[in-house]
Amino acid sequence: MFALGLIGLLVRRNLLFILMAIEVMLNAAGLAFVSAGARWGQADGQVMFLFILTVAAAEVAVGLALLLRLYHRFHSLDVDAASEMRG
Amino acid sequence: MSSADFTALLPLIVLSATSVVVMLAIAFHRNHRLTVLLSFAGLALSFWALWPAASVVPLQVTPLLVIDRFSLYYFGLIFAATAAIVLMSYGYLERHDVRREEFYILVLVAALGCCVLVAADHFISFFLGLEILSVTLYALSAYLTEREISLEAGMKYLVLAAASAAFLLFGMALVYASTGTMAFPQIANDLLSGGAAHIWVLAGVAFMVTGFGFKLAVVPFHLWTPDVYQGAPAPVTALVASISKGAMFAVLLRFFYQSGARDLHSTLLIFAIIAIASMIVGNLLALFQNNVKRILAYSSIAHLGYLLVAFEAGGKMGAAAGTFYLTAYVITTLGAFGVIAALSSSGRDAEDIEDYRGLFWRRPVIATIFTAMLFSLAGIPLTAGFLGKFYTVAAGASSALWSMIFVLVVASVIGVFYYLRVVIAIFATENVPSDAERPLPAVHAVGGATLLALAVVLIWLGVFPHPVLDAIHKAVSGLF
Repeated sequence: MFALGLIGLLVRRNLLFILMAIEVMLNAAGLAFVSAGARWGQADGQVMFLFILTVAAAEVAVGLALLLRLYHRFHSLDVDAASEMRG
Repeated sequence: MSSADFTALLPLIVLSATSVVVMLAIAFHRNHRLTVLLSFAGLALSFWALWPAASVVPLQVTPLLVIDRFSLYYFGLIFAATAAIVLMSYGYLERHDVRREEFYILVLVAALGCCVLVAADHFISFFLGLEILSVTLYALSAYLTEREISLEAGMKYLVLAAASAAFLLFGMALVYASTGTMAFPQIANDLLSGGAAHIWVLAGVAFMVTGFGFKLAVVPFHLWTPDVYQGAPAPVTALVASISKGAMFAVLLRFFYQSGARDLHSTLLIFAIIAIASMIVGNLLALFQNNVKRILAYSSIAHLGYLLVAFEAGGKMGAAAGTFYLTAYVITTLGAFGVIAALSSSGRDAEDIEDYRGLFWRRPVIATIFTAMLFSLAGIPLTAGFLGKFYTVAAGASSALWSMIFVLVVASVIGVFYYLRVVIAIFATENVPSDAERPLPAVHAVGGATLLALAVVLIWLGVFPHPVLDAIHKAVSGLF
């Protein structure tokens, strides 16, 4: 699942899908925490998952806000449109 | 929680309260000067709160945070650096036609994230601190939304930082899965006894190194650095370059020292490769840049490489050398980006090397300050940067890291070349543009005074470092 998210991040050119791929990666880490917690019979893994969920939501909120601004500016969600800095 | 716990957390509580107070003040009365005053007062108050906190340390506050002298030293550094950023932002934002006040809430919250990182000795607080810092930095990098490159910088930073956070989390999950604990000191018990799950711990640590490496901007995780440095507004670049990296270095020291992951042979090998690659790549790529912000970006990659030499040296001496180097580096980067912020106009930041041609003959004081900062980055004696490098080399020599020291010295020599390029432009007497051709904005009094103070501290640390060194030695002894 983590690899799937990473591949998505690398091959997609559309910002919306890139944000979704990041979400997949974060959730993969969350799932790993839950299963690790289950292995040790502790609640810590699930606690961590709740934190990951919250933080991912905050991250996506800022990400979508930036995405809207970018769309207003470039009229496209293609990442290559917004890459004028090089070197 | 006992009253001692609250006393230990007082600096963090005051800082959090300040961001709430600033937010409410903006809601009731939107005034730039008032916001700056409140933020600065809050930071000063948090700094003052370090002394009551120092009387109860070391103290484990909840399983998540540990307040010891190491945390307090870095708190002090973060508060002072944030105060300098707040003051230099005032003049910078005055020239921009944006909603200025919210900027300071974000800066305060970023400082809070740094403090949580520094005090974290548990995966949960580590992750929370990192994300509090990162999410505010996304918004700050893209703060000047009318500039296309600012937006681009914010978006690039968001995508890459979020991906690296996912790597870090996955690494933490692997370590947790094989050790059954998320607290740094307990991880050591399991790690040093060397269980059957060793390979998973190694994989986990490798994933975590990716996360660390991204935030520290070391090779090969450095690709975002020049773009974000260039695109973000100059005070934000100062923040990204100074306290964000400083806090990450502090948590790097704490995690790898306390969890025992530093004692794994492969960890040391990975960091040695990263350090050498950063020193070489950072300095070489900086040679080809004409943009001062990008030069400083590549130079920061190299500087983090030097810092990792101190980390690699290990022991009290390595930790102390790293902390001193970092202190010098924070002051210097703040000063350098402060100069860029002070000379920037509303349309663009003063980032072209040509912007600085003959600056000395037009603005002697600020040109001298900038030169002092560049000399410190290059490691010229009488500046804090020189002593930092000296202690790092000494720490490396005491651990017999000869190949790394060799690279450090060669890389520093290359470094001198591109810093001198900027200095030569500053002192150039030919083709100096007149005020009509290339107008310079008037340096704001508050920002100018901050820069002067930074320059004084820089020289003071360079000639009389003992008080700070004593504090650092006391601070790092808390790690062991």
